[in-house]
Amino acid sequence: AAMRSRAEVDATLQTAKLNPAELLPAVHCLSFGPQAGGGECCLLQLEPGLCAELEAGRSLVIRGEKDEHAVLCSKDKTYDMKIADTSNMLLFVPGCKTPEELNADQASYNIIHSQIAGFSKNYWELRRCRPKLKKLRKLLMEDPYEGPDSQKDQTSTFSKYTTEDLLSLIQASEEEILHQLQVIDACKIEGYWRILDFDYEMKLLNHVTQLIDSESWPLSKVPLCACLEELGSLEPREMIEHILLSYGRKYVDDAGEVFFEMHEDKICRAIAQMLLQNAVKFNLSEFEEVWQQSVPEGMTTRLDQLQGLALVDKSSRPETIFLLKVEDLPEDNQERFNSLFGIREKWTEGDITPYIQDLCAEKQTVGALLTKYARSSMLNGVKVYNSRRPIS
Amino acid sequence: SPSLPSGGAGALAQWVLLELQGQVEPRQSGDLAGSLLGDLHYTCEGVPVLIVGHHILYGKVVQLEKPFAVLVKQAGASQPSPAGPHGHYTVTALIKTKLLFKTRPKPIITHVPKKV
Repeated sequence: AAMRSRAEVDATLQTAKLNPAELLPAVHCLSFGPQAGGGECCLLQLEPGLCAELEAGRSLVIRGEKDEHAVLCSKDKTYDMKIADTSNMLLFVPGCKTPEELNADQASYNIIHSQIAGFSKNYWELRRCRPKLKKLRKLLMEDPYEGPDSQKDQTSTFSKYTTEDLLSLIQASEEEILHQLQVIDACKIEGYWRILDFDYEMKLLNHVTQLIDSESWPLSKVPLCACLEELGSLEPREMIEHILLSYGRKYVDDAGEVFFEMHEDKICRAIAQMLLQNAVKFNLSEFEEVWQQSVPEGMTTRLDQLQGLALVDKSSRPETIFLLKVEDLPEDNQERFNSLFGIREKWTEGDITPYIQDLCAEKQTVGALLTKYARSSMLNGVKVYNSRRPIS
Repeated sequence: SPSLPSGGAGALAQWVLLELQGQVEPRQSGDLAGSLLGDLHYTCEGVPVLIVGHHILYGKVVQLEKPFAVLVKQAGASQPSPAGPHGHYTVTALIKTKLLFKTRPKPIITHVPKKV
């Protein structure tokens, strides 16, 4: 179509009975651009902070395989994407000036021929969500690292994952993924992220705790160099340092030497897991005795070290304890609660909290989750929670 | 994975959104591409006035609380599915302002019968 002329614009104004004196001199003649009807463009509504990130030149990434709902990731946050329908038509116009811009620019615009780049009845809405990290552990557990002597690694046909691989497969931001790798004590071996096989991990930990015992080092000051020297013939140096990093806090003293302050709670917890994984459940008092005897000299075991790892059944006679790892439970909120109520009909807040804490969204409390997904009642004077729906 | 890089060096382009009620249809059958929508004026007070066909629409300038990013699909990408916009997109522009036309269009009367 030929471009409109000033004469045509003025004629339209006259027909419309609009007074040019009441209008700014510039007019935008809007037409549809060549790509307008193609559906190539879509709109994404930005949550606070994302606009600034884009303007700073950082990119956003859409992640998700065909069978997953897509999420949008910034450098450090993850968002669910949902289509929002409006009943209106949204047209996007490049180079369209606002009244402020027209007034501010002293150059006299006459006709601005603007091409509509696209239009849509809907747009993508974002909602901040928990990063979907359960898959990360699942991928790394496909092939846990059993040590350099393991035959498995040479013949293994399982996938091994680099950082890039994980970024393309996990629906989370890069920072969230890297943070989670640290939380689960993953390590990089030959460029691939690996989780240690639990038995191998305990073997490494045992080397260290035995050495601490035989050298009578304080638990808060375990020297890295000596560990590498003494244990270097038994295990790869990287693995010795990795186990120290996993179970201790690294620091440097005034003389510049590297030490580790060992995490008593984490060591006791790992040893408990080692004991509990061998049977369906244990007599509680027997377990507590064996557990205390099994931990390194100077460490004290406490049941609260086992939150999210094991559950005590106070209703059985005698009381028992069994392994229940929160990371083995479903990631979806409703599925998690279904699973928990399938294991036990009624839960106290104290017992259930370690198993739902990780479901809390930003600024959401455990109490809010319980209100939404559970029903409360009183049992022997104690408040308990059970399922909102009948369990089949 | 599909990344949304900003399209090229320098600041992102700023576009404007026009929000209209109802459907946009071409006057003649055939493509929308290339066809005229109408003339957009502003009053001296800054009120947007859109003349579309035989209608005048009055609107208002709205600063968006949540700006939009305009995503343009890269060539050869798969179709968006209900599960999500899988594929490769580039952020082409930001939209911080919209012109909202919600008032009922006033028809332009082109023929007034003469009084006898």
